[in-house]
Amino acid sequence: MKSGLKNISKWSLRFLGLLMLSIVLLVVLNSAFLSIYVNNQSPNGSPWKSAQGAAEAIKQENGEYILQEEIVQELIKEQAWAIFIDDRTKEVVWHSDNLPDDIPKDYTLSDIASLTRGYVNDYPTFTGEAEEGLMVVGYPKESFWKHISPSWDYQFIENLPQNTLILIVSNLVVIFLIYMAANYKLLKSVGPIVEGIQYLPKNENVNVKEKGPLSELAVNINQTSEILQSQQRMLQKKEEARSNWIAGVSHDIRTPLSMVMGYIGQLEEEENLDQESRQKMTVIRKQSEKIKQLIDDLNLASKLEYNMQPLHLKDENIIAVVREVAVEFINIDLAGKYPIEWIVDEQVSACILPIDKSLWKRAIGNLIQNSINHNENGCKIYISIIIQQEACTVSVADNGVGMTAEQMDVLNNTPHYMLDNDHKGEIRHGLGLLIVKQIAASHGGDIVIEASEYGGLAVRIVLPFSATPSNDVPI
Amino acid sequence: MEYLKQKRILIVDDELALLEMVTSFLTDNGFQYIQTAQTMKEAIRVADDFKPEFAILDVMLPDGSGFDLLEQLREKADYPVLFLTARGEDEDKLTGFDMGADDYLVKPFLPKELIFRITAILKRSYKGENPQVPLRHCKIDFERAVIVKKGEDLPLTAKEFALLSALYRQAGRIVTIDALCEAAWGENPFGYENSLMAHIRRIREKIEANPSQPVSLLTVKGLGYKLIVEEA
Repeated sequence: MKSGLKNISKWSLRFLGLLMLSIVLLVVLNSAFLSIYVNNQSPNGSPWKSAQGAAEAIKQENGEYILQEEIVQELIKEQAWAIFIDDRTKEVVWHSDNLPDDIPKDYTLSDIASLTRGYVNDYPTFTGEAEEGLMVVGYPKESFWKHISPSWDYQFIENLPQNTLILIVSNLVVIFLIYMAANYKLLKSVGPIVEGIQYLPKNENVNVKEKGPLSELAVNINQTSEILQSQQRMLQKKEEARSNWIAGVSHDIRTPLSMVMGYIGQLEEEENLDQESRQKMTVIRKQSEKIKQLIDDLNLASKLEYNMQPLHLKDENIIAVVREVAVEFINIDLAGKYPIEWIVDEQVSACILPIDKSLWKRAIGNLIQNSINHNENGCKIYISIIIQQEACTVSVADNGVGMTAEQMDVLNNTPHYMLDNDHKGEIRHGLGLLIVKQIAASHGGDIVIEASEYGGLAVRIVLPFSATPSNDVPI
Repeated sequence: MEYLKQKRILIVDDELALLEMVTSFLTDNGFQYIQTAQTMKEAIRVADDFKPEFAILDVMLPDGSGFDLLEQLREKADYPVLFLTARGEDEDKLTGFDMGADDYLVKPFLPKELIFRITAILKRSYKGENPQVPLRHCKIDFERAVIVKKGEDLPLTAKEFALLSALYRQAGRIVTIDALCEAAWGENPFGYENSLMAHIRRIREKIEANPSQPVSLLTVKGLGYKLIVEEA
């Protein structure tokens, strides 16, 4: 939900930015438009200016008033008329030729006050002061609209800049609130959808409420999740089936193999047996033991691979666990062909970590068995445990035949045939090491296969102390 | 060891061939009183008459699980049991031990392994009947918790007794330092290694002719100890 909210506030900020930008743009555009419009409207300036111009341009010559021809032409062009009222007599002493008939020829003081602010018979009039009178210019009806009582409180004008600012800001806030209110529902329904989409790749069950303006999207997401989940279930079912199949087959092989191994073991111990038969018996027993090992490994490897082997974690002393396995091998190695040397600092008696003991025993056992399998003629096996600051390393090495650098490279770097879809026919290495790798990985560790300092092969299991064991580890 | 061979043993497995094979292992090794059963029902009937002193049970039977069978058998009498199974799963192993099974062997197995396990369980369960265990230079009398050396009784302390019992159960095999510490001091015994060495030294003084050159209680460096028992 957190990331969904983050996205929503990001959107809101973005919208706010967009809003600001549009307002600035609109203001600039509007002022430009307005100024162009106003300028175009009266190219010769305002009617007040025209009236003042006319007032200044009227002259008395030989007792008669004459207006400059230039100004007269301008007035005609604007379809305006003009009268000149004498200061003393309040009578019209001059008027333009186009004076309409309904304009009075004498005025009282109140008439003059009225025509200054407003109209004469609906003609908008403007005045200009001359030395001996008042020039009145009248424009056609409905050509100007005049504000008759233009007066404002002084404070109002004084506070105008800050009031304007407050007005603009409050307008913005109101617009934003309107936007939020209008979009709240949309944003609210976007949140779960965004969250749902974010959960989809995590392979979790997504259930977005199918309500609100985006319900269709929600339905689609839920359907997608359902499809993904059912595919996941199918895959898991398939994997379980495969794992169960392997478990079933290995179970069914165990009983007949018991018979083979049992009777061979019994025959091998018979005293009156010739050398050749005894050798053959030994071969059969050894091969049977290999089959047994293979069944065990196959079963566990498939379970580990498909995460069907639950980890039973408990704080265990790794040294004691490894020692137990080493001793089990010494105890069954009656002929002493594979002596085990224990190289652990005597000062270190315990290394407690949360591990699955039986899996760890299996991993160590596999490593020892690996040395035995690859050295038919016997070899010495060296087991060491090194506790360092950040990791515990268990190493099983031998002085046997070892392998070439090339083979080692293949072991370290190519996936096992069980985990690989290509190269189906090519069996690169046994399951034993794969299981060790899987077990190490499930405990958050790893393995390293290398040449042993004793001449043979060495495998190290490195388990970091910070590792978190998990049932779900890709290998 | 001969008295152990007189024990009545019941084997239950649905595979007739396997029953025959295990029976032949046991008779080859001197066991004389053996009865078999292929189903749970049959096993209970046989057990009523035969009164077994040891049982080998398969986990999967046609009419129920070996665990259920063990429960029913234990209602009438308590004797050691070894599970034999084709399933190697840990859960099974745990269930088996929870039910009070003495050991657990996964198929396939070698006759040697089976006989060793059976002998170990029988020795553990019926040791009272053979109080004197012969070593090179003395005898251990577990019944009285003493070492009999040159006609003299050397008493064993509780820890020495616990350690010797653990070693004797696995006679001839190495017992790890950890298993011995557990036997003497209980679960999760960390840091008892030095005490263990001291106790081993005192046991050697009692059982060996020359404690600095032991022949009955051997050290396997870094791993554990091994008790060598002489055949009677």
